[in-house]
Amino acid sequence: MTEVRFTVNGTAQCVEVEPRLTLADMLREECGLTGTHLGCEHGVCGACTVLMDGLPVRSCLVFGVQAEGAEIRTVEGLAAADGTLNVLQRAFQAQHGLQCGFCTPGFLMLATWLLEQKEGVDEARLREVLASNLCRCTGYQNILAAVRVAAQEIRVWREG
Amino acid sequence: MTGPLFPQGGPNMGQPAPRYEGRAKVTGEARYPSDVRLPRTAHACLHLSRIGRGTIRGFDLTAARAVHGVIDILTHETVGDAIRQTPAIYQGGYTSDSLLPLGSAEIAHWGQPIAMVVAETYEAAREAAQRIVVTTAPHPSPAVDINAPGAETRALEPMMVQAGDFDAAYAAGPIRIDARYTTPAQHQNPMELFATQCVWEGDRLTVHEPSQYVNSVKFGLAEQLGVPADNIRVISTHVGGAFGAKGFLTQRTALVAIAARRLGRPVKLVATREQGFTVSGYRAETRQHVQLAATRDGRLTALRHEGWELTSRADTVAMGGASMTTRLYACPNILGRVNTVAADRSTPGFMRAPGEVPYGFALETALDELADRLGMDPVELRRVNDTQTEPVGGLPYTSRSLMRCFDVAAATFGWSGRSPRPGSMREGDWLIGWGCASAYYPAQAGNSAARVRLTADGTAHVASAGHELGQGMTTMMAQVAAEELGVPLERVTVSLGDSDLPPAVVNGGSAGTASVASAIMIACDAIRARLGVPRDAPYAALRAAVAASGLAFVEELGEARAHGRSPESLPDMYRGRALPLGGVELPDRVQFAMGAQFVELRIHRWTREIRVRRAVGAFAAGRIINPRTSHSQLLGGMIWGIGSALHEHTDIDQRNAAYTNANLADYLVPVHADISEIQAILVSEEDRLVNQAGVKGVGEIGVVGVAAAISNAVFHATGRRLRDLPIKLEHLL
Ligand code: FES
Ligand code: FES
Repeated sequence: MTEVRFTVNGTAQCVEVEPRLTLADMLREECGLTGTHLGCEHGVCGACTVLMDGLPVRSCLVFGVQAEGAEIRTVEGLAAADGTLNVLQRAFQAQHGLQCGFCTPGFLMLATWLLEQKEGVDEARLREVLASNLCRCTGYQNILAAVRVAAQEIRVWREG
Repeated sequence: MTGPLFPQGGPNMGQPAPRYEGRAKVTGEARYPSDVRLPRTAHACLHLSRIGRGTIRGFDLTAARAVHGVIDILTHETVGDAIRQTPAIYQGGYTSDSLLPLGSAEIAHWGQPIAMVVAETYEAAREAAQRIVVTTAPHPSPAVDINAPGAETRALEPMMVQAGDFDAAYAAGPIRIDARYTTPAQHQNPMELFATQCVWEGDRLTVHEPSQYVNSVKFGLAEQLGVPADNIRVISTHVGGAFGAKGFLTQRTALVAIAARRLGRPVKLVATREQGFTVSGYRAETRQHVQLAATRDGRLTALRHEGWELTSRADTVAMGGASMTTRLYACPNILGRVNTVAADRSTPGFMRAPGEVPYGFALETALDELADRLGMDPVELRRVNDTQTEPVGGLPYTSRSLMRCFDVAAATFGWSGRSPRPGSMREGDWLIGWGCASAYYPAQAGNSAARVRLTADGTAHVASAGHELGQGMTTMMAQVAAEELGVPLERVTVSLGDSDLPPAVVNGGSAGTASVASAIMIACDAIRARLGVPRDAPYAALRAAVAASGLAFVEELGEARAHGRSPESLPDMYRGRALPLGGVELPDRVQFAMGAQFVELRIHRWTREIRVRRAVGAFAAGRIINPRTSHSQLLGGMIWGIGSALHEHTDIDQRNAAYTNANLADYLVPVHADISEIQAILVSEEDRLVNQAGVKGVGEIGVVGVAAAISNAVFHATGRRLRDLPIKLEHLL
């Protein structure tokens, strides 16, 4: 067992885990944060995407012990403390960017990262980045629309 | 700022209310069955057969047992007769196949569960499962697929469809088409894995499992374990996609239940993505033969459609799509036949539009071949053969808006700008292909019940053991109750996905909304009758009536019987046997939702890369309760259609029938990059006959016909007719 210290959504965590435990399972089993979903466990679907020190990672492909000292952000940290949804969450709801919702946390975290990039986002970049995650339900159009609308709302959308 | 893509309403459409559980899903609060945390849980991992058909000679479990944290290992030697042999759904039972879980040393197919390890952690269970050593005697030449020499073909006589004299009419036909088609094995691959958690409290068992039919799990498990069904509760609040894969009880559930009973603690199993390829059913590969004869002006005079579908040795399963393709167009002489081909494979099952996707591909491609031969526009060919009378039995359709769908979709697509000659539309190095096809899906319903409670504070609660698979069942239930009672939508709450609630139909066959909405309407009628409040009475009057009654709440159970089911069939839903009925199975009428699919694709002149540039589908499916969720279902369906034509196929090892691409890296499903412009149009249609709710269902029709529209577009772009799916660039070299 190895002790791992890290923060999740701003809260300090200290857990003892086997080195072979994935970050996804550490978050789900040790921290009780089951909003991070596992759709393939081999790094393809992106359902397990979380942000680690500001970068999107597939938490099924990262070991928990690699999170030592890291800042992790998960879907549970997106809404404000009083439960108010953030702009992306609202856009997913308003544009109907989800059906079964299993892929949603992964898409939300990937899009969170995308919208934080200072160069902004245009249609080509949006499609390129979002193509890294799978959704089996929605047909993708509403997911694209949701991220587009959120980007427009916070003025990081670039036409062209 | 752009508006949402879904329509805001229209004739015979409700409000596009936002998803009831949307908030829970964007915050991570939604608990899927694998998210439920039970204290003292032990973790299970399956060990699947790595040989094809054969026999287990023995296990060496020494290394597996030595893994730190291992508690128990189940094999056929330990499980023995703890699980009873029960009939599969195809024989009127509950299970999705009739192999007994860990029932004997016989291995029927590659990937069959042959052991299950239970350990303190998932990691230990998985390590131990990999350390199990099995000595086996593989069968020397298992039949691996539909073309294998050892596979057994059987004609299914009851599935034969016949009208007029096909042979004579075909022989006399001035224009004839005779073509053979194939479709591959495919897997549903919902994003959520197959999870099961079982916990016993005394002799009572609770199962958390993503399901399209909690009562199939409950009653099937009761039979398998010899436990009273009343002692079993199955909970499935959120389901991470299903598409047929979670329709019925699979082998894993009884194993987890037994392990939990042996250990006296909760046991959790989450099958890996690879294991999921044989844990449940799948879309079997097919071969098909279509023969058409027509007059020179395009009228069909003879139509024959015969299908061969792969099945397992254990179960005879056929989707029998010829029963529908023979009833789509006017034609006096018809022959439909279905055969199964049994091989050493796991039992196939239902995958979104199970019979319609493969058979629809064949017939709708054949029609395009006919249009080409006639020099006729393919839309006009459908118009010439459109009918309001079903051709086999002469029955009426409850409603049919096929050509309205074609006209709307064609106009939106700009079909009139098509230059018909193959290869005649180009843009630089890209060959442009435009193709179209009909979409159809049987409108079905099953017996279902719902309880509605109206409380003195003016809130309402709706409960039914329907399922939220992502299709929007929860939102729909709230909307129907709100509309029927006149209660504001935000004052309605919903419970579903729990076998303790009033039973509903299996949420498959696009029958969920039609069935459950009807039950809710009956319950609401009863509430209004009890309170003496007329329909359309204002909300205030309704509240006043509850207050005047002196009751804290008024509650009624609605039981909806599907058209074509006898009154004696109602109790069946209380035994997990509420299955959809409709489509072409009724004595007095035929019920179809219909649509039209148009596709534009581009094929690179030199590399033969195939890109779908845009797709337009228009669908008429009776009443649309929620245009937002319905539109999304159709869009998602159309993308499945693109996948079914260009990406999805399960590869089969010719030595042992192993699935060699059983993972999401190699089993290709469409991603954002594969999809450019895609449009789903809801064509308004009113059908007062089809069921009480007037709903035909939109869960599956979006997939149907896309593959044919694509193959037809490939022909238009290149002049090459490809009759085998999936279509890949190497087929165009
Ligand atoms: S679960 Fe991590 S990428 Fe699929
Ligand atoms: S909403 Fe179901 S997988 Fe995306």
